Amino acid sequence: MPLFSKKAKEKATRLFYACDIHGSEPTYRKFLNAAKFYDVDALVFGGDLMGKLLIPMVREAGGTWRARLQGQNHHITSEEQLAEFKRTMQTLGFYWQEMDPEEYASYEGQQDRIDDLFDVLAKERLAEWVTLAEERLADTPVNVYLCGGNDDTDEVLSALDETTTERVVNAENRAVPLDDEHELLTIGYSTPTPWETPRERTDEEIAEVIEKLMPSVSDPAKTVFNFHCPPLDSGLDTCLKLDASVWPPKPVIERGQPVHYGAGSQAVADALANHQPTVGLHGHIHESRGATKYGRTPAFNPGSEYGEGVLRGLIVAIRGGEVLGHQFTSG
Amino acid sequence: MAEAAAAPQVFTRRASGLVRVMSPYSAFIYNVLTMGIIFPWTYVWAPTALEGSNLILGIVFAFVFELPIALAYVWLATSLPRSGGDYVFQSRVFGGGFGFTVVFAFFVVWILQWVALSGWLLATLGIAPTFIGLGVTTGIGAFTDIGTWAAGTTGIIVISIVNALAALVLLVTGFRNYVRFQYVMWYAILISFGIVLLLFLLNDPASATAKLDTFAGEVNGVQGFFETARAAAAEAGVNFDPPFWLLGTLLVAPIAWTSLQWATYSSEQGGEIKNANVFRSQVFIIVGSLTLTAGLLILLAVAMQKGIGDEGILVASSGYWYGVAEATIGGNIMFPNLMAMGLTGSWIVVLLIGIGFILNSFQIVCNCYIGTTRIMVAQGLDGLLPDWFARVHPRWKTPVNAHIAYFLAALPVIWGFNMIGEWTRWTLGVTFANGAVMTLSALAAALLPYRARKVYEASPGAAYTVGSVPLVTIVGLLGFVFGSFMVGSFLFREELGLAYTGDAVPYYIVLGTAVFGLLVYFVMRQVRASAGLKVEYAFREIPPE
Repeated sequence: MPLFSKKAKEKATRLFYACDIHGSEPTYRKFLNAAKFYDVDALVFGGDLMGKLLIPMVREAGGTWRARLQGQNHHITSEEQLAEFKRTMQTLGFYWQEMDPEEYASYEGQQDRIDDLFDVLAKERLAEWVTLAEERLADTPVNVYLCGGNDDTDEVLSALDETTTERVVNAENRAVPLDDEHELLTIGYSTPTPWETPRERTDEEIAEVIEKLMPSVSDPAKTVFNFHCPPLDSGLDTCLKLDASVWPPKPVIERGQPVHYGAGSQAVADALANHQPTVGLHGHIHESRGATKYGRTPAFNPGSEYGEGVLRGLIVAIRGGEVLGHQFTSG
Repeated sequence: MAEAAAAPQVFTRRASGLVRVMSPYSAFIYNVLTMGIIFPWTYVWAPTALEGSNLILGIVFAFVFELPIALAYVWLATSLPRSGGDYVFQSRVFGGGFGFTVVFAFFVVWILQWVALSGWLLATLGIAPTFIGLGVTTGIGAFTDIGTWAAGTTGIIVISIVNALAALVLLVTGFRNYVRFQYVMWYAILISFGIVLLLFLLNDPASATAKLDTFAGEVNGVQGFFETARAAAAEAGVNFDPPFWLLGTLLVAPIAWTSLQWATYSSEQGGEIKNANVFRSQVFIIVGSLTLTAGLLILLAVAMQKGIGDEGILVASSGYWYGVAEATIGGNIMFPNLMAMGLTGSWIVVLLIGIGFILNSFQIVCNCYIGTTRIMVAQGLDGLLPDWFARVHPRWKTPVNAHIAYFLAALPVIWGFNMIGEWTRWTLGVTFANGAVMTLSALAAALLPYRARKVYEASPGAAYTVGSVPLVTIVGLLGFVFGSFMVGSFLFREELGLAYTGDAVPYYIVLGTAVFGLLVYFVMRQVRASAGLKVEYAFREIPPE
């Protein structure tokens, strides 16, 4: 080896991480385009794919529709207005269903039927998204790693297994290779929330899942933890404490003021501290964007603003089990 | 397309939701208090600096000029309801380098001057007149001594540091502590302001002059205070019967704007306000607080004219603008509160007025911290300040590091503000710098539909157009024009700011802060680049297609 030459450093792997897009079409499209835009090697999604609202568009005589969106009533009378209305709903991550007044009335008080309709529409959208990812990433070496979060139902997530793909990796509850030296371990559950969402687990159950999956990892130090739920009291999990005894839950007020608390998982915090992975990637609490550290391991939550069509994300450069640098993004 | 007729309700499912801490009403109060309704510079600055101007009309002009800026912020705050306000708006529309440099240099750096100024206000408008007033009304000399000490250099520095430290402790231990205390400040300030108004309205110039003579006689130990002050003011060049001056009246607007421009300050912590993305909420928070404060300022001007007359206002103003020592009481400029204290013989009334002023001074230093630390956190998360600034304390849930950094940075400014004779002259750019941020944000609002199309289209304000032109573009451009007139006045009118000294030092200092901001940007850009990252990624919108 020449005396003064530097050993050529191996190329770092650059990940782009985002989460909590909740059905927002433009945000998802941005997520896919992030591969080229940010020149990264892999796209990692951290859960919560499904939208939260479904807008019934009630047909009226004369080919017009009535609907309610963002607290305003809309009377849609032309094709242009209809297209614009649908674009807005796509941006906001809402689903919509055209229906007759009788059909709309038949849903009144039928939450199970409404949930089923959500599942059908969300699964359709997710299947479309998988296909879109294949198209967009076809000529690239970039894989997209998808998983669910606490807000996604198992029925909808089954779309990830039902679609055969080259570029889309179903990362849910498993360890998968990320590059030649790193693996990605993904868990989409969260601790119980006041919203009683579909995929909540107790801290003990989350700890059990983590420990069950850890043996499948070759080297914990060269593993990226993609855990939807952030670590407890980390600053990545700060939100208002809510009273779950009423629906919808309301903020807990003490001495006239709302109470903040950490809504994360102790099991996740313990896993980061004990296993010291390369990095912890988290989401779930949209308003708690930030970074923290567990020993050598940095942990991040990029937050979410999907409703405004903004893709909050994070670029992480890793090499040899180390984070070389990170950059929060807002695209 | 949007209309009021009945429509089907949306279907929901069990999914988690986002809840925020500050109610629109709290944000409304926050803005009113930030505008400092009881620190009306206008009354002591404009009358002699712009002789012949009409104070009331000038405040109305300021309201009219600020209105489109405030409306532009309504669109911005509903489109991008997140903490970091102006920095987020400008970096999104103009790009990171520009947004960071402008907001870091002209807000984060220059607002340090406000930390020092709020300490000065607390000492000279809060503690000093309160104790002097108590001394006079109770006959206890120790109160007068405390008041006199508070108005001296040592007193002001000590009080400023304690003020900044108390705000630091309150804010780092939890934002809700501040929100709770804000209600106490709100009611105390309203009571104080109401009493000041009443005292002016219940007097006429003759009775007020006699009472001020007695009050100042007790404090200064002089006889015939008002006549002496009037004569000294006349000798200093005050014209007590100036003809009406329209341009001067227009130029009152930038002065009143130094208060009214802060109607938009709640947008710095948009991420903490409930329903921050609801148009009606932001209209209430921003335009509502502006309207109320402008109304109160006009009411105070009317009350002062009734109570002490134009002549009394000019005498009071001469103590500020011409530095006429005879027109001060106990070394204090005759701000409305001090005069109101002179109009009462009750120590309880003095105390109620004083508490309001003390709390509003304290509230202003809290504002400095709250707004700038949110900006610093946003900039830290974007990689334009070291990550350390963006860290949130796990227990208190507040950006402790940013708070501590800001407190430490304020200490030399407090010292310089009070110890260096030329400091105030060097830093005349503060009004220009702060105003420039808001004016540029109005321009950002005008360009929002074109430079951040997706963000704009997803916002409720996108529904408002005039023909095919987004309404935000119209109000934003109007705001930019009016704001440019006002910041231009700060730049070039000697009565209003940088041109006052007649030399280039204040301009160089403004330029220096901008260069400093740009330097920080390029250094951080280089630091990130060394790890293979680009800070531009923090702002650049990814095309969805």
